[in-house]
Amino acid sequence: MGALLKWSAGVALLCASQAAMAATVGPVTDDLGVIRIAKGAPIQIGAYWVLSGADTALGLDEKRGVEIAFKDVGGKLLGHPLKLNAEDDGCNAEGGQTAATKLAANPQTVIVLGPACSSAATPGAPILWQQGIVDICTACTAPALTASTRKKEYDGFARTVFSDAEQGKADATYIHNVLKAPSVVTIHDGSPYAQQLQQVMADNFKQMGGKVLSQEAIAPTDVDMKPLLTRIASEKPDLIYFPVFTAAAAQIVRQARGTPGLEKTKLMGGGSLLSADFIEAAGPGVVGFIIGYPDLSPEAMGQNYPKFVDEYKKAYNEAPISGYHANAYDGAMLAIKAIEKVAKTDKDGALYIGKKALRDAVFAIKFDGISGPIACDQYGECSQFKPSVLEFTSSDPKTFGVGKNPKKIWP
Amino acid sequence: MRRAALIGLGFGAGAVHLAAVGVLLAMHQRWIIVDALTLGQAALLLLAGGAGAMAQRQVFGAVAGAITAVPLAALLAVMSLVPLNSVFIALSHDLLDMLTLGLGPAAGVAILIGGGAIAGLGGALLRNSSPLVRRAVFPGTISIAVAGVFQELIQLMLQQYEGPVGDFRDFVYTWEGLSLQGAITIFVLAALFSEVLGFVWRMRAERNVGGDHRRERMIRAGIALAILIVLPAVAGSYVGQVLMLVGLYILMGMGLNLEVGLAGLLDLGFVAFFAVGAYSTALLTAGSAHALADLPFWMAMPISVLLAVVVGVLFGLPVLGVRGDYLAVATMGLGEIVRVIVQSDFAAPLLGGAQGILEIPKPRIGNFVLGSPVSLFYLTLVASAVAAFVAWRLENSRLGRAWEALRDDEDVAQALGINLIRAKLLAYGLGAAFAGLAGSIFATMLTSVYPSSFQLLISINVLALIIVGGMGSLPGVVLGSIVLIGLPELLREFGEYRYLFYGAVLIVMMRLRPEGLWPSDVRQRELHAADETLALDAGADAVPAQPR
Amino acid sequence: MVGRYIARLNAVDVVLWGLRVGVVAVVVIGTAGTLIKGRYNAAQWFDFVMFGLTIGSIYAQIALGYTMVYGVLRLINFAHGDIVMTGAFAGYFVAMPLDRSGFLEDQPVVAMAAVLLVAVIVSTSVAVLTERIAYRPFRRVVGLAPLICAIGVSFFLEQTFRGMFGSAVKSYPDPPWQRAAFHVLGFNVPRIDVLVIGLALLFMGLLYLVVQRTRMGTAMRAVAEDGEAAALMGIDVNKVVVFTFVLGGAMAGIAGVFYAFVYKQVYFLMGFTPGIKAFGAAVLGGIGNIPGAMLGGFFLGMVESVGPTLFLDGIGIPAPYQLRDLIAFTLLIMVLIFRPHGLLGEALARKRA
Repeated sequence: MGALLKWSAGVALLCASQAAMAATVGPVTDDLGVIRIAKGAPIQIGAYWVLSGADTALGLDEKRGVEIAFKDVGGKLLGHPLKLNAEDDGCNAEGGQTAATKLAANPQTVIVLGPACSSAATPGAPILWQQGIVDICTACTAPALTASTRKKEYDGFARTVFSDAEQGKADATYIHNVLKAPSVVTIHDGSPYAQQLQQVMADNFKQMGGKVLSQEAIAPTDVDMKPLLTRIASEKPDLIYFPVFTAAAAQIVRQARGTPGLEKTKLMGGGSLLSADFIEAAGPGVVGFIIGYPDLSPEAMGQNYPKFVDEYKKAYNEAPISGYHANAYDGAMLAIKAIEKVAKTDKDGALYIGKKALRDAVFAIKFDGISGPIACDQYGECSQFKPSVLEFTSSDPKTFGVGKNPKKIWP
Repeated sequence: MRRAALIGLGFGAGAVHLAAVGVLLAMHQRWIIVDALTLGQAALLLLAGGAGAMAQRQVFGAVAGAITAVPLAALLAVMSLVPLNSVFIALSHDLLDMLTLGLGPAAGVAILIGGGAIAGLGGALLRNSSPLVRRAVFPGTISIAVAGVFQELIQLMLQQYEGPVGDFRDFVYTWEGLSLQGAITIFVLAALFSEVLGFVWRMRAERNVGGDHRRERMIRAGIALAILIVLPAVAGSYVGQVLMLVGLYILMGMGLNLEVGLAGLLDLGFVAFFAVGAYSTALLTAGSAHALADLPFWMAMPISVLLAVVVGVLFGLPVLGVRGDYLAVATMGLGEIVRVIVQSDFAAPLLGGAQGILEIPKPRIGNFVLGSPVSLFYLTLVASAVAAFVAWRLENSRLGRAWEALRDDEDVAQALGINLIRAKLLAYGLGAAFAGLAGSIFATMLTSVYPSSFQLLISINVLALIIVGGMGSLPGVVLGSIVLIGLPELLREFGEYRYLFYGAVLIVMMRLRPEGLWPSDVRQRELHAADETLALDAGADAVPAQPR
Repeated sequence: MVGRYIARLNAVDVVLWGLRVGVVAVVVIGTAGTLIKGRYNAAQWFDFVMFGLTIGSIYAQIALGYTMVYGVLRLINFAHGDIVMTGAFAGYFVAMPLDRSGFLEDQPVVAMAAVLLVAVIVSTSVAVLTERIAYRPFRRVVGLAPLICAIGVSFFLEQTFRGMFGSAVKSYPDPPWQRAAFHVLGFNVPRIDVLVIGLALLFMGLLYLVVQRTRMGTAMRAVAEDGEAAALMGIDVNKVVVFTFVLGGAMAGIAGVFYAFVYKQVYFLMGFTPGIKAFGAAVLGGIGNIPGAMLGGFFLGMVESVGPTLFLDGIGIPAPYQLRDLIAFTLLIMVLIFRPHGLLGEALARKRA
């Protein structure tokens, strides 16, 4: 038994040490290893998003964005079909780790897109990078992931979505300088995303001289907001800032209307509320509700965004169901362009991609995406953030359209 | 005849349910044999075939199979007339296409009923055929199903090998999945293998009449265990990762087994101890600002286990006097309290709040970092082995017997002189130790702890797996964990439908085998003793006895 | 005498006393602190109480289902919360067309009755079906198998409804007559809250009458007390069990519709958390005890609504509403420690195997 265990441990050591190693395969030499794709075999692009549970719409929307990107390049690249291996990470750390491990275990995974949640990216990205696989995130906004203080194991991580450090600052600027609201109360739902965003906003707001009366918290499944809102009403804030998800935000919007003391208080939410579902769930109170989000108007976005929305509607019979499809599309295009740049074909038709070269290409390529210009800085922040504030104009969910309802009111 | 009709309707209702819930369509996206058979089609055939098999006689089999198809055909007809998918979102055009094979509703109805009849006939024929045929067909079809459904995983495992293995893989599989030639090959191989095995077993049975059952079971268990141990090294890091999660749940299951199986204390707050172990390790080893100390993992782990024991005892103290289902609620409350605290802003300065604690380092032995899933799996394995040994010794000790007395009847146990307080507190504490150990490894595996990982659902899962595996038995815990944790992980591509299967598995398992998959001998005797007494009483329809 | 009591204390008692004192201290200091700070006026306190009564009445109705099934079968029907969900969904598909056609607006009474009727029919059918398929074989409850089966049913129901109707949140209509408020003694009382509380009390009263006065109800109580003796007396236990599930299922359906009308949101997981809490409430009141379940439900509702503000605000804890569940469960555990059979419960006649 002991011998068996020792032998097994030895084998394990061998397998464990199979991290990315320098190699020369075919016409390509690379410090981190080379992927060889046989003639006719698909280029496997991995992905992990939240595809189950209450936030399914978030991940599904991004998956569709990527699928449309693939379709736009004809489903093939350099003569090889494009194959998307999408895994479900459940928007939590264990899911992210399991999904990333599965993708990393496949030696044919060229590059990975996603995840949707920062808590999944935190364990996931290092696992992928250990095998030399670049991870282009499409909706994770946690500041730490592209901060200058990030560790080396995140060197392969880039994102085509803004950082909450910027979003929070922009929201604070709007509330303080444009709305001129002296005091705010914030609410978060216990998720890392909401808690961090409201914290960034609160810190910036305080620095600008505003007053944060209190920072409240709920559980995402809470339905009865009235006691909390009554409590907040007693503090008489000018604005309530709650970057939480659809269900809870809708409850707050509905119930704030009926809470004495909050009739004049402005309500502001975050980007996860950009969907027709939210309008339906929030009811009549949604008119006048504002959210802080990157500028999605055609002048700010790439001109191709409306065309993308049309394609989306045709393919899936509904308007985009969440807010990050454009980021996903751009992430996919970034990956495709990078592969095109570094892949080499040999005379038999097989494709060779060097891992380090791919990573460098991802960080170097600049182009105009549909969510804005894409150009990565050295820490992997690839999107140029242009803040804006949108306001909902009608409570009829059928009128939902990014730019129409809600429409841009600032800048 | 009526029976056949009823069976058919029952299975037919099942088919309609699968269709309405969207499982059928999801399964249809999955090839078993590329361009020939999808999982969805196979499921329908299986339903009809199962109905036929249950109906026993060939003619009735065909009838049962046909009737199985009738509800689905009716649904088809309605769907083609009225767009139902504004209410029932799964009844979409794609489903219609699948059911009619793209040929239109009338043809679809005919195909369904005809196909159902044939499948039912096949099922009945199979049921009535000789063992020789059955031994060939069943393993063959199951092998095709496994090879086809798990093709991604199998291809992943075989990716690493070139040479003859690689050639075999290329022959049997295409990029999408199992090819037709591959399916036939596998069927033939599996059928042959199973015939040979059956032959060998019969030869051995004829020679060893009255063989030693326990030794047989032990040998088989030993082989299974050996496979399990070697598998991750051979199969790659993904399998290692899944097995590691299974291993963590095995650890927790052994702990809860002490509390529920041995001592009879229904604890639904078990996840709290898991959280204590994880957070302790995080706080003691993390590199981030939250850390209280900077200890190596090997020092932090025993401290975490100790802390878990302390918390376990603290938990047990207030609820010593609470019994039965009240205890379930009380412990559930305690578990939820811990969850709320770790997530709260109130405790955030210490515990990190919603952001959790990050930058937890992996364990190191000298210069070697146990970074990969495979190496961490072996760590978990060693921990489980130690824990299993401890659990086994406890079971057969005085304390273990005291626990069993406690479980059977508290008052009598107390009258016999057993110190209830000590026994209960030890149960909570020792059970918590196992969970703390699991939590400690969990923290270092993920390199981060988030409060969302410690939900009530985990306590429920652990409870379910020890009951499905067989309460009170250690091999049962292992088996339960593999079935209830391992399989859903492997089936992640089906998204949330795996919870549907999970629920169905729980219901079916408990109905068919309430004592669990590998019950301890004591349990089995207890459960079926009641059966025996009832059977002895005159065989008339027994009055349902009041729950004990 | 006190001296002798102290002499006989052991470590456990010390801890328990410490807990008692600690919790009472938190409650008293917190309450004092909040009242001293005086942030809230009378109208706001009244609002807190109303919210608590509203959610409490819903918890009470759900708790009744748990308690009745437990009394008869000694089974914790984990899936009960999901039966509430089925009622809410069924009601949704009736309420939406009624709202779109304006019927809900014009004929509120008839419309509400229709919604409730459909919801009750669906939830009762689901309840009876689950009993037949999943619970009937467990009439001889041995071990924890029935509990696991119930958990399986819960998952199954949730996922079935998610598959059939999608994971998006659906909203109940919001007719103006619900949003309007009564003005009583200077306080604003939302009409929907009054409606829900009033109707809930009405239905619970009806249930109580059924259980106390009718033959089936008496049979139910007999089976709950001693099933074998009841069978020997000629009671058809199967029928009684089905009847119990019918009653429980009906209450659940009504609770689902009320919940949906108050909180407007319906989705496949909506029943899980209220189910767990109502189960806690049932145990709090003494499981198997019908007035106890009602009491437990209202108690839990009030604690959830008023508790964080009343207790925690005074001690200066940040974001107290996040700790809402903590307060509820702490009080639950406190009650169970010091009255191990719940507030109104008698000792369990038989111990769980």
